Amino acid sequence: MAHRWGMAIDLDRCTGCEACVVACHAENNISTVGEDQAALSRAKHWIRVERYYEGEFPNVRVKFMPVLCQQCDAAPCEAVCPTYASYHTSEGLNGQVYNRCIGTRYCANACPYVVRYFNFFNPVWDKPLQLQLNPDVSVREVGVMEKCTFCLQRIKAREVQAAAEKRELKDGEVQPACVQSCPTRAMVFGDLGDPESEVSRLASSARSTELLSELGTRPKVNYLSQDSWHGGENV
Amino acid sequence: MERRDFLKISAMAGATAALEGCGNPDHQLIRFVPEEDLIPGIATWKPSICTLCPAGCGLLVRVMAGEAEVVRNGQLGLLKMGLAKKLEGNPAHPVNQGKLCPRGQAGLQVTYHPDRVKGPLVRNGQRGSGRFREISWEDAIKQLVSELSLLQASNSEGGLAFLTAPMRGQRKTIIDTFTASFKRSASVEFAFFDDSVTRTANAASFGRGLPPTVDLAQSNYVISFGADFLGTWNSPVAQSLGFGHMRKGRPGQRGKFVQFEPRLSQSGASADEWIPVEPGAEGMLALSLAHVIIAEKLRLAAAAGHAGSLIEGWSLGLPDYAPEKIAEQVGVKPETIARIAREAAAHAPAVALIGDAATAHTNGLFNALAVNALNALLGSVGQRGGIRFGPTPSAKQPAPSFPSWASEVSSGAAAVSILLLYNANPVFAAPAEWGVRRALDKIPFIASFGSFIDETSALADLILPDHSPLESWLDDTPVSGSTKSVVSVAPPAMNPLHNTRATPDVLLDVAHQLGGDCSKALPWKTYDEAIRASFALLYKEKGSKTAKDAEEFWNKAQERGGWWSAEESDVAPGAGSSAGGVVKSAAPRFSGDSSHYPYHFLPFASQLFYDGSLSHLPWMQETPDPLSTVMWGSWVEINPRTAEKLAIQQGDLVEVASPQAKLRAPALVTPGICPDVIAMPVGQGHENFTRYATGRGSNPISILSAANVEGTGSFAWAATRVKVSAVGRGKLILFGGSLREASAELKHR
Repeated sequence: MAHRWGMAIDLDRCTGCEACVVACHAENNISTVGEDQAALSRAKHWIRVERYYEGEFPNVRVKFMPVLCQQCDAAPCEAVCPTYASYHTSEGLNGQVYNRCIGTRYCANACPYVVRYFNFFNPVWDKPLQLQLNPDVSVREVGVMEKCTFCLQRIKAREVQAAAEKRELKDGEVQPACVQSCPTRAMVFGDLGDPESEVSRLASSARSTELLSELGTRPKVNYLSQDSWHGGENV
Repeated sequence: MERRDFLKISAMAGATAALEGCGNPDHQLIRFVPEEDLIPGIATWKPSICTLCPAGCGLLVRVMAGEAEVVRNGQLGLLKMGLAKKLEGNPAHPVNQGKLCPRGQAGLQVTYHPDRVKGPLVRNGQRGSGRFREISWEDAIKQLVSELSLLQASNSEGGLAFLTAPMRGQRKTIIDTFTASFKRSASVEFAFFDDSVTRTANAASFGRGLPPTVDLAQSNYVISFGADFLGTWNSPVAQSLGFGHMRKGRPGQRGKFVQFEPRLSQSGASADEWIPVEPGAEGMLALSLAHVIIAEKLRLAAAAGHAGSLIEGWSLGLPDYAPEKIAEQVGVKPETIARIAREAAAHAPAVALIGDAATAHTNGLFNALAVNALNALLGSVGQRGGIRFGPTPSAKQPAPSFPSWASEVSSGAAAVSILLLYNANPVFAAPAEWGVRRALDKIPFIASFGSFIDETSALADLILPDHSPLESWLDDTPVSGSTKSVVSVAPPAMNPLHNTRATPDVLLDVAHQLGGDCSKALPWKTYDEAIRASFALLYKEKGSKTAKDAEEFWNKAQERGGWWSAEESDVAPGAGSSAGGVVKSAAPRFSGDSSHYPYHFLPFASQLFYDGSLSHLPWMQETPDPLSTVMWGSWVEINPRTAEKLAIQQGDLVEVASPQAKLRAPALVTPGICPDVIAMPVGQGHENFTRYATGRGSNPISILSAANVEGTGSFAWAATRVKVSAVGRGKLILFGGSLREASAELKHR
C-alpha cells in the first residue's frame, strides 16, 4: 500500500535553533544567494523558523514555528500550474518536476504558506564549494521553482532498500534531513496511513493543529502547540 | 532517419564536442588514478568529531565518490576521490546521540571553503601587509626548524609561546610536550567565551574544576541565570536533547523552565517564564531564592554543605537577601522571587544553571558561587536531574591566563622570540586595551598553523596550513554533555584536497629534526601513533570487557568513533576548597559612568557564528538568526521604550560609543531586552577573514573595556557601558518569508 507521508512538529520541544534549516541546505543543494539578493527577499530556505513575540516587555514570550511545505492534500499550488510541474504524487506529496517548470510562479502566489522559492538566476558555488553537493539531488537552474520534497531521495532510497530486502519499511526508518538533525527531537516523520506510527499518534494528540487549516488545504504537517506548565502535571 | 545515419551524426556531434572541450581549460585536466573502493552513487558513513566548539559532538560523515580538482606533485588534475557530502550526529556517541546543531552541520564548508590556505606560505612584504608567497613544505619546515634551533642555542631572554584555542586529547598533549621541551616557554589558550569562571567556581564549591553535565532529561524544574544552554553554552546539543525530553519525553510529566537574564537569549525564548534581571545581579537573585527556601524551612541551610558555607551569612539564612530588600537592585518583584523559590523547592529534582554574561561581569565568580550554593541547597549536585560532573580530572594547574600573558609581552615584562599560533584569533576577539597587536609586533617570528588567514594569522611570517578536521585524524575527551566516560577518535573521513599537513604531524617532524629533549619527549612518528598509544593505555584500564585485545579495542574504537563506558561514570562532588575564603556579596562594576554612558552593553554568542570563528561560512551567513531573522550582517538590540526615547527606528544606523571606542550598526527594536541594556551579537566585523566575512558588520568586542572577573584571570566582557545615538539609515536584511494570512495574534515582527 502506498504510504501517506506526514510530519509532526512539537512546538513545545522546538527551540528555534536552526539546525533543520542548515541540514536542509546541505541535503538539498540549496544555493546561497548572497547579501544583495537576500536583501531582495530571494534567499531560499525550504524550511524556515518563524518567530512570534507575544506580549510587551517584561512579559514577553516567544513562539518558534518551523515552516516547510505542508504537502497539502488539497494543494493550491498544484491546481494553478499550467505545465503540471506541480503535481500530486502517488504517495500524496506535492511534487515539483523541475524540467517541466517554466517559471510562471503561479504556484508561489497560490501557496498560503510561502514555502516555494524561485531561482532568479543560476546557482553559483565558489570553487571548490561545489564538492559539497549531494549527488542524489538535482541542482535547479534559473527560472525554476523549488521547494521542500520531504527529502524524496531519502524516502526512495529506503523504499528501494526495503523492497530489495523483501520487507516493509519500519516506522522511523525514513528521516528527512531536518528531522534527522533536530537536537530536541521536536520533529517526527512517518506514515500517516499507519495508525500505529509515531507521527499518527502525535497527529491525534489534543495539542495537534494544522497551519491555516481554515483554508481547506488539508496539510500533512501537524503542529503540536506550545504547552505551558501545569504545576508539573501534563494535561 | 535510419538508425545508421543517426549513429553517424551522433558520432560527429561527439567529435565536435570533444574538440570544443579542448578550448576549455577545465576539460584539459589530466586525470589522476582514482582512489580504490569507490562505487559511484553508494555512500559510506565514517565517524568523525566536531571541532567547532568545546562540546565535542560525535559526527558521521557521508562520503561519496566525486571528482575534485587537486594539485599533486605540482600538477593540477582531476581526481576521483571520496568526498564528504553531509555531516550528521553519530547516533552512538553519548554526547549528541545522532543530533547536531546548525554550526556543526555547516562544518562541511570549512573543508570546501574557497579561501582556505592551500599550501605553505611565507611573508612577502611588511608584516601585516597580507602579502605572502607560496613555498614548499620542505623549505617551510626547514625555516621553522632553523628558527627553533637558533632559539634553543641562544641564551637570550626570549622564549617560545604556543597560542591555541582550547584543546584536548593527544593533539593537546603533543602541543604542550613540544612547548615544554623549550626553556622559557608557555602554552597559552585563548577563546572569547571561555569557561574558566565556571571551572574556578565549581572547584571551590564542589572540588570539581569542570563545566557541569546538566541532567535536564530527568529534571522537573530548571532555573537558568543567563546561560544560553540551548544555543551555545557548554554542550548545547546534549542539553537540547535533555530539554526536549524534560518537556515532552515523559508521559504525564512536564518540567518547568525559568530563565533570568537582561536580554532574551535563544534559550530564554523557549522558557516557560522569562524574567528580566539587572545585569550582574544574578548572584544576588540566586541567594534571594536561597533565602526564601531557608526562611520558609523548605530545605535546611546545612543541606548546602561546603558550597553554602562559602557564602557570607549562609548559616544565618542570608537575611540581607530577603526579596523585599534586594528587589529593586535586582529588578525582579519580591513576590516573583518567593514564588519561583517555592516552586523550585516543591518540584525536585530542580537544577540551576549559570553561564554566559552572568559569569562575565566583574562579580561573575560571586554569581557562579551563589548559584552553586543554590544548587547545593536544592540537592541537585551530583544527583539525577541536577548538575553532574564527568570523570575528567580537574586541571592540576590552570594554563596562564591570556590577558596577563598578552600584557606581559606587550609591556616587555616577558620576552617571546617565537610565537606558534593555532586556531586562536585574539586580534579579532580581544579588547584593544590588552595590547595584543603591540604584543605580536614585539615577537620577531610568528608561525601559524591556521587553515584560514584571519586578523591574527595575517601577522604571521610563516603559515603551515593544517588539514581540515574532516581530512585529519582527530581525538577528543569531552568534559561535559554525558555522564559516561567518553574518548572520541576518528581517522580522516577523506583525503586532503590541498597541499596541507596535519599540524600534530608537522610538530612531531620538527621535534625529531631538532633532536635532543624535544625529540625524546615525543616518541611517536605520527599523531595517529600517539592516539593509538593512548588507546593502548585505555584498553589496559577499561577495555577488557569489550574487546579481546588492544588491537581489537583500537579497531572497534575507530569504527564507532571512540570508546565510551557502558555505565554512567560521573564522579560525586568532592570536598571543595576554602582557599578563597568566605565570599561576600559583590556588586558588578562597569566601565563608563552612568550619566555619560547610560546603557549596559551586552555582547552575546551568536547562534550561527559562535565567537566569530564561523562567520566565514556562507551557510551561516545566509541562515537567519533565530530571534532577529537578520542575515549577512550585524545589528544592535534596543528596547522599544528606549528606541522611542532616543528617536531610533528599526533599521536606523546607530552609533554605540563606549569610553574606549565606538561602532555603527543598524538598530533592531525588540521587546526582549531591558530598557537600560543594549545588546549585540559577536561574530561579524571581521577586517580579514575570507571573502564572506571580511568587512561585514561590526565587532562588539572592539568597544569593550578590559576588566577581569574578580578572583580569576577571565575577561569580564559584560562590564562596559555605552551611549547610543541614531546617525542615519542602516541596512538590515531580515528574512522575508512569513505567513501572509497569519492571524492577528501571530504578528510577525
